[in-house]
Amino acid sequence: MTVFRFVFLRSFRNTTNLIFLTLFPLVCIFMPQGDPWPVLPYGYQLFGVFLLFVSIRLASYIQVDRMSGVVKRLSIAPLSHASYLSQHLLAYLLIIMLQCVILVYGGVLYGQPLIQPFLLLILYISYSLAALAIALAWITLFRNKELAFFGFMSFVFLVSVLGGIIVPVSMFPEWLARIAVLFPTYWLAEGQLWIVYGNELGDFLFVNVVLWLYALVFMIIGSTRKLR
Amino acid sequence: MRILSTVQFTGLRMLRNYIVLLLLLVVPILLITVFSFILAGVETETGEKPLHGVVKIMVVSFQLFGGSIVMSYIQHEFFTAHRMRLNMIPIRKELYAFSIMMCGTVYSILLGVILMLYSQFALGIPWNWAWSIYVITLMAILSSIVCLIFALAVRSFKLAERLSEVYGVGFILLAGLFFPMPDNAFFDFMGSYGNPLMLAMLSIQAIEQSNAGEAWFTANILLGAVVLLFVLMLVLGRRRIG
Repeated sequence: MTVFRFVFLRSFRNTTNLIFLTLFPLVCIFMPQGDPWPVLPYGYQLFGVFLLFVSIRLASYIQVDRMSGVVKRLSIAPLSHASYLSQHLLAYLLIIMLQCVILVYGGVLYGQPLIQPFLLLILYISYSLAALAIALAWITLFRNKELAFFGFMSFVFLVSVLGGIIVPVSMFPEWLARIAVLFPTYWLAEGQLWIVYGNELGDFLFVNVVLWLYALVFMIIGSTRKLR
Repeated sequence: MRILSTVQFTGLRMLRNYIVLLLLLVVPILLITVFSFILAGVETETGEKPLHGVVKIMVVSFQLFGGSIVMSYIQHEFFTAHRMRLNMIPIRKELYAFSIMMCGTVYSILLGVILMLYSQFALGIPWNWAWSIYVITLMAILSSIVCLIFALAVRSFKLAERLSEVYGVGFILLAGLFFPMPDNAFFDFMGSYGNPLMLAMLSIQAIEQSNAGEAWFTANILLGAVVLLFVLMLVLGRRRIG
């Protein structure tokens, strides 16, 4: 687990990253409650958008490795690509999970009405898996780190509007609401709706399985192209 | 006069930067198109369409980020890649910096006007052209100046870039576009007269209700901020560039 340890160190060495990774969940806790929408306080809505940014920022380390030839050098070291990638992703997932825990249980301490905090945590973790996988797949499309980041930023804006995080899906015209199902942000919003109004555990499981499917598909796309 | 011959190349280099084109032209066009689908049939009881306000505020708010064009260009020319070369060529550096700033501002205004054209002709949003362009010009100049102040005052360019993002996103947040701000004196002020984005919107709305006094008042506050910050920028710029 050497790679795992150094990924951790690398992610927290940069001050901007440190602020970025710790401060934002704290800010999200204190955002107000919307009336009548969104169903959970605004911070919990926007955290979904923010998680996408975090995942691209973390995943761009893998891109730096690919571009600077580190992956090439590692390919002759006694370390398989699968373990390199999985240790990276595991470390990233752990960092993101930590943020989710801060957000959810900080909210509980602060007294935000989160109905079922534990299930919300699970929903966020499923979602962050999907977000990481999407970021991983995204960076394989680009050679330039800057372009990948800014391209992803525009993608995030569109996905969060189209997926019903900024504007509720119930306001969409019918054909747009059908397209919205394609985006992972839609499933996050759907899961949050379930946490407030739902009662059948099967539906919640369905939302999570969809997010895992996203994670699986994009993880496969992202892990195929390792060298250039 | 030598400066004038550089202007066309500055312009060309700015046009060629496709990341800026993506973020400040393609993304807003896609966003306002999506919003126009979502809010197509919505009308308030008084017959107003919320879509018009949303599209206008989006077009204006993308001007907050226009300054980053100038900032990255100045950074490239004066502090990193071309720094030594600039010391050798026989031009006045502060004039060159000023010409870059003007080019970037004009480019940012141009992007804003393209967005206005698109929203007027493709989505049918009525604009008061002359006044809106005046307000957008003020916003573009303000954003260029603010970003330059960041670039000149802060040693690390990364930090300056982050600060410019904070300027843009912060004022959008303070305007309450994402979620309503808490109701107290500070946030009330920052959500109205203390916020360039809201000043611009108030001004555009006032001219549409043919309330010229209010429109001039809000636009003049913006103008005052531009003049004040310009002086600050000159002071900082003489130290770093001159």
